[in-house]
Amino acid sequence: MRESYRKELKSMKAEVVDIGRIVIGVVRDASVALAEGDVAIAERVIDNDDIIDNRCLALEERTLETIATQFPVARDLRLLYSLAHINIHMERMGDLAVNIAKAARRTADRQGPRTLYDLIKAQGNLVQRVLEAMLEAFENNDLELAYKLKEMDEPIDHLFKQFFRELSRLQEEEDIEWASQMVLASRYLERIADHAVDIGERLVYMVTGEFEALLDGPADDEESPQA
Amino acid sequence: MTADIAPAASAADAPKFTVRDLEFYYGDFHALTGINIDVRDNAVTAFIGPSGCGKSTFLRCLNRMNDLIPGTRVEGTITLDGADIYGPGVDPVDLRRRVGMIFQQPNPFPMSIYDNVAFGPRLHGVKKKDELDEIVEQALVRANLWKEVKDILGRGGLTLSGGQQQRLCIARVLAVQPDVLLMDEPCSAIDPTSVQKVEDLMAELKSSVTIIIVTHNMQQAARVSGETAFFLQEKQGEAAELIEFGRTAEIFTSPRDRRTEDYITGRFG
Repeated sequence: MRESYRKELKSMKAEVVDIGRIVIGVVRDASVALAEGDVAIAERVIDNDDIIDNRCLALEERTLETIATQFPVARDLRLLYSLAHINIHMERMGDLAVNIAKAARRTADRQGPRTLYDLIKAQGNLVQRVLEAMLEAFENNDLELAYKLKEMDEPIDHLFKQFFRELSRLQEEEDIEWASQMVLASRYLERIADHAVDIGERLVYMVTGEFEALLDGPADDEESPQA
Repeated sequence: MTADIAPAASAADAPKFTVRDLEFYYGDFHALTGINIDVRDNAVTAFIGPSGCGKSTFLRCLNRMNDLIPGTRVEGTITLDGADIYGPGVDPVDLRRRVGMIFQQPNPFPMSIYDNVAFGPRLHGVKKKDELDEIVEQALVRANLWKEVKDILGRGGLTLSGGQQQRLCIARVLAVQPDVLLMDEPCSAIDPTSVQKVEDLMAELKSSVTIIIVTHNMQQAARVSGETAFFLQEKQGEAAELIEFGRTAEIFTSPRDRRTEDYITGRFG
């Protein structure tokens, strides 16, 4: 029944997974560019953002067309509605990776304290783990893994706060411009992980029809220092 | 297997129909089993399900239309405003005045538009011309047909278009002031503009009349009803059941039963 419609739903989900892989790649590249001061990688991340934006836009159009023409209900409706949300999260994660790449470009020719480099590297690695778990959970409708995302996100928030504390210890002779770019980048990494947690919550709704997970409040941590 | 009963009704919100443990038989054939449902007053309730799932059979139980088919048998109880409609002393003809019915094919009588609508009131003893005029106009207004026919009331009902004929039939039922309107696929045989008019008039009527609609069109069920009941005959030859009943918005976003989900998403049926 409705074979082509079924195929289209599957293909749209697969497209989100593909976009997710690209996003994971650009976030990894942006983190490396920042930690290694590699401008070439940073430029590549910035240039590739159009690819993510265009694919997200195309997917949004497909979602809208399917809703308009196929009258999806129940799990199909939840899938399409969730894909539209997740699509926005993907696009924003791509934008945040671009921001990190720009910070990398600005800081490439400067040098800061080793501890802060270590912190940003550690944070980047943790974000990678969250993103990979998010995409695996989404691809397999794995609720157990989706529920773990929030827990996996916590150390990332902690590292961001630690980053702030380290910043306050900087001596006057340190490069404040460099440090503020790094702290912004740390904030962007933390936001990327928040988007991944939000995607996990959307996934729970998509599979169960329950909005419960979404009622825990915004993933954005109100207590964190504002960047 | 028992399906869920409707969201609880408070005393102020007593159900119009209360159905308990209903079993229905066509001779030896057990058509419906274990039906429990509370139908809300002054609301639209949709019955959906694949062909042969018993939804129309169940609809006809609600005004004892099945009594007209020899060999049928009902077990369990159906109450209308708390009174058993199969109880002793209930006149099925009087019941059918209170619980009117609209069918898939419009079936105007071969007489004028006016006489079609005046037919019921005359049968119930209304004779005065003024009074009949008033009833006919009001019924046609409520059926969203008055503007189209007010100048041609003497013309034959069968000269109208299919969609107009259906609304004429609705006006004919409304003329006897029913409490409930049972609609058995009322839009299956009419054009899209008329479908919209019928759906509009359902939305207007529901504040004063309880409406139950059987429809194969799931978008229609989603558009017009507040609550939806899904019926299913799981195996050929077995009695059909009420699988799920709940708020229409919930049924169409997060149905609780996998079979409901499979049906409304077009995976079978």
